[in-house]
This record gives sequence, C-alpha cells and structure tokens, in this order.
Amino acid sequence: MKRATSYILPVALVALGVLFPLFFGPYPQTVARTIFKYMALALTWDMLFRSGQVSFGIAGFFGLGTYAAALLALKAGFSYPLAILAGALISGIFAYILGFLVLRLRGTYFSITTLALAEIFRVILRNWTSFSGGPEGIVLPQIIFNGDSRCLYWIGLAVLLVVVVVSQYFEKSKLHFSLISIRDNEVSAQTSGVNIFRTLLVVFTVTSFLQGLIGAVDVVSVGYAMPDSAFDSNYTLLPLAMALLGGQHSTWGPIIGSVLLGVASEYLKLKIPYGHLLVYGVIIILVILFMPEGLIGLFRKKKGAKRG
Amino acid sequence: MLKIDNLVCGYGRMQVLENVSLEIGAESVGLFGPNGAGKSTLISATMGMIKPWKGSIEFNGESLLGKETYQMARLGIALVPQERELFPGMSVEDNLMLGAAYIPHAQAKSEQQIEKVFTLFPILKERRKQYAGTMSGGQQRMVAIARALMSDPKLLILDEPSLGLQPSIVAEVFDVLKELKKTVSILVTEQNVRESLKAIDRGCVLENGKIVLEDSADGLKTNPYVLKSYLGL
Repeated sequence: MKRATSYILPVALVALGVLFPLFFGPYPQTVARTIFKYMALALTWDMLFRSGQVSFGIAGFFGLGTYAAALLALKAGFSYPLAILAGALISGIFAYILGFLVLRLRGTYFSITTLALAEIFRVILRNWTSFSGGPEGIVLPQIIFNGDSRCLYWIGLAVLLVVVVVSQYFEKSKLHFSLISIRDNEVSAQTSGVNIFRTLLVVFTVTSFLQGLIGAVDVVSVGYAMPDSAFDSNYTLLPLAMALLGGQHSTWGPIIGSVLLGVASEYLKLKIPYGHLLVYGVIIILVILFMPEGLIGLFRKKKGAKRG
Repeated sequence: MLKIDNLVCGYGRMQVLENVSLEIGAESVGLFGPNGAGKSTLISATMGMIKPWKGSIEFNGESLLGKETYQMARLGIALVPQERELFPGMSVEDNLMLGAAYIPHAQAKSEQQIEKVFTLFPILKERRKQYAGTMSGGQQRMVAIARALMSDPKLLILDEPSLGLQPSIVAEVFDVLKELKKTVSILVTEQNVRESLKAIDRGCVLENGKIVLEDSADGLKTNPYVLKSYLGL
C-alpha cells in the first residue's frame, strides 16, 4: 500500500509537466524550460556531492556540451539528435580523462581543479576565433523543431526526466551505499571492499555526460552559443544554491530548491533587474546558517520528531 | 594464511618497522606493545594503506604488495579500524549490508550472514533501524566488528578493539572474539593484554618496531617480562 501511494506524487508531477504547455503559453513555457535546465544541473551536481566531492565544474561541462554540439552541427554537418549525443559524449569522455588524472586527489584538490575548467574553456574558445567564432560565438542556421515552443519545452522536460531517473537509480541501487560510505569514511569504505577511485570516476563521468547533454540540448533550443553565456558562472552557482536550499543528498531536494529559486528569480528579474543575484546570495547565507540540510532536512527532522 | 616476511616500513623518512616477520595460520594471534611501537603501521601495511619499503606480505600464497585496500577486503581480509570506523549516517542494518555488498563471495549469502551476526550481537538486531552514529561507543564497536564479519573473512584484523571502551564492554568484546576464533583467523593488536589473553592462542610483543617476544598465550601469562611490563604484576 505504501509502495503504491509513493508513486502517486511523482506520476502526477510528470503528467502535470507533460500537459503544462497545453494550458499555458510560450512565456510560462520558457520560464519552465529554464527551471528544468537548472533543476537538471542541480541534480547532477548533487549526485556527485553524495560522495562528498564538491564539483565546481558544472559550467565547464555544460559549456563543453554546448560548444561540441554546436560546432559538430555547424562544421561537420551532424544532425541535431546526433550532435546532442556527441556533445554529451564529449563531456563524458573529457570528464573520464580528467577524473582519471585528478580523482586520486579528493576533497579540496578535486574541487579546485574543476573550478578552473569553465575558465580554461572560455578563454580558449574566446581566442580561437577561426575555430569557434571567438567572442561573438556561433549561430546555428535553425533552432530544433523550427523553434516550436511546445516541442522545445518537451525536449527540455525529457532531458530533466532522464536526469531524474539516473538520480533515482543512484539513490536506490547499491551505488548509494558506496557513495555514502565514501562521504562518511574513506578508510572504512575501502576496507569494506569499495573501490573508491573507480566509483568516483564512474559517477563523475556520468554526471558530466548529463551536464554535457543539458548543454547540448540547450544550444539547439536557443540556436547560438557564446563563450560568455555557455560558460557563465551562473551555471555553476545557481544549481549549487538550488541543491543547498532544497536539501542535499537526495533527488527531491534539488527539485524543490530549483522550483523555488527559479520562480523567485523570474519574478525578481522583473521587479529588480540583476537584484535577484543579491537575493540569491542572501538565501545561500541564510540556508547555511539556519538550515544546513535544506528544506528537505527540515521536513525529515519534523517527520523524525513525530515518530518519536 | 598471512605471511609477513622481513617487513621494513615507515612514513616519509621515518622508519617505523624493522624487519618484522609474522606468520598467522588458522589461529588467533595477539600483537602487543606500547603506543608508537608500530602495531597500527604493521596493519596499515598489510591492508595496503601504506607502502612497505622492503620485505614481503603474502596471503594464501599470493603476494599483497602493490594491491589496493579494497582488493585485500575482497581477498578475505577484514579490518576493524581503530576509531571512527562506522558510517554514522546509515542505519545499523545498512552498515552491515555494506560490509557484504562489495565482496563478491559474501554478497550472495548476505542474508544468512546477517542472521549469524545477529545471533552473535543480539542488541544489533533490536537496533537495526537506528542510525549507527547515535549508538553508544561499545555498540558502535560491535557494529564495526559485525560489519567486518559480514564480508565472510578468512582473516579478521582488529586494531585495538578495546580502545575507549568501559571494562565490562571490553570483556564482552573479547568474549565474542573467543567465540569467533573457532571459525576465523584473528590478528588483534591490543594494549589491554590481560583481557585479550583469553581470546588468543599466541602473542607477539612489538617494541620500537621490532618483535621482541613471541609465545603461546599460556607462555605469555607466566613470562616475567610480560608480567612486569604489561600486566603490572
């Protein structure tokens, strides 16, 4: 019985998500698409964070997927579906190689390495004008689905659902054990037979693949890529803020956090342009001070208290 | 089973172990010695957590040199580390299941194994849904031992299992080890020689990185040096 009821909410939410464009126009659809994009990024960040590793490389892999897909479509004549897949794969492969080199160093060393990524890519693509179009970036000849706003909405939703499914797999499978064990105690994880390096390498590769996928779908949906927008530090900071607000180490946390912050930022952008960043900063500080486990953490605490 | 031969080992440029040789068969062996003698270093080297400088370590005829810690665990060497050995954010049951989850030969029979472990530590069955981090020190140590047993080890290594526990719990821990040694080989490092003598067949005394004394449990009990330095008689 409990099993059956636990499916009702997710199924209802998915149905609502799919049917949304039938009732709302292009503007709400675009807002929802943006929220989906950040929600997916927040989830991928959290998936790696469940092992205790903090990656600041979200913007780097997102932008890598963006540029790889755009350049392959434009210069190599890849069809959009193929370019999307290739963009995601290139992000994944790059993460695998980088992870192989740096994941033996964990914690801060790993974080710092990923922090530099977006900046390195951005500088290269800005200056390699003959290849990447330089600071002006590249413009694709057309937007996927000829820019039909409903189709763009659905493809954004589809990407999000892929990410949610992978995140749930991470949470429900044996992998969940090894991720928590690495976060809690590396020595005990190893002596329990967990291959820490391989586990982290797989998770880093998978989450970076997904970040590349999100970027690739984004670029064919907007039709252009610029170094400053593809590697915008917001792609690192906002997902992080959303995951922290909603609650880390879970699928629900980043989902809730990104809806709240996404809607809030859309509203604030209209009221006080650029002021939304200020509000973000305040929110992050308040969350860290007063509810370090996020909204989900508050909920869990309440539930725990009730059970006694 | 485990054969350590002329092991030389240390940290940075500081040498800790000096030609240590130790062999463990189907038996329970105690490793005694004061703080800084090199007991934990010996264990770290055996588990592949630090790299030996010289010498060899073999397990059932297979060299362990160059292997990683998780591979030792999969070969059948289970370690109960000295402290902070649990996953506090997981339930007791999950802690135990994790002990078997990544050991291929143990995973298939984890259900039987957990029942065995629960007979050994009934309190853990009662508390299996509780977060491991919320348990008392003694109970946490029991979870740690139980988790090591979940991997169905051939050799169980315990690094100072009595550390920080109240006397009655210490006695309980060694009662359990006495029971366990019938089915698994044990290497236990201890400072509490008196209690551990009841759970071992043989003991070695390690001082300043060298094994200075090796005898049966009964021999140690009457050895004047052990009596004076370790039993305070």
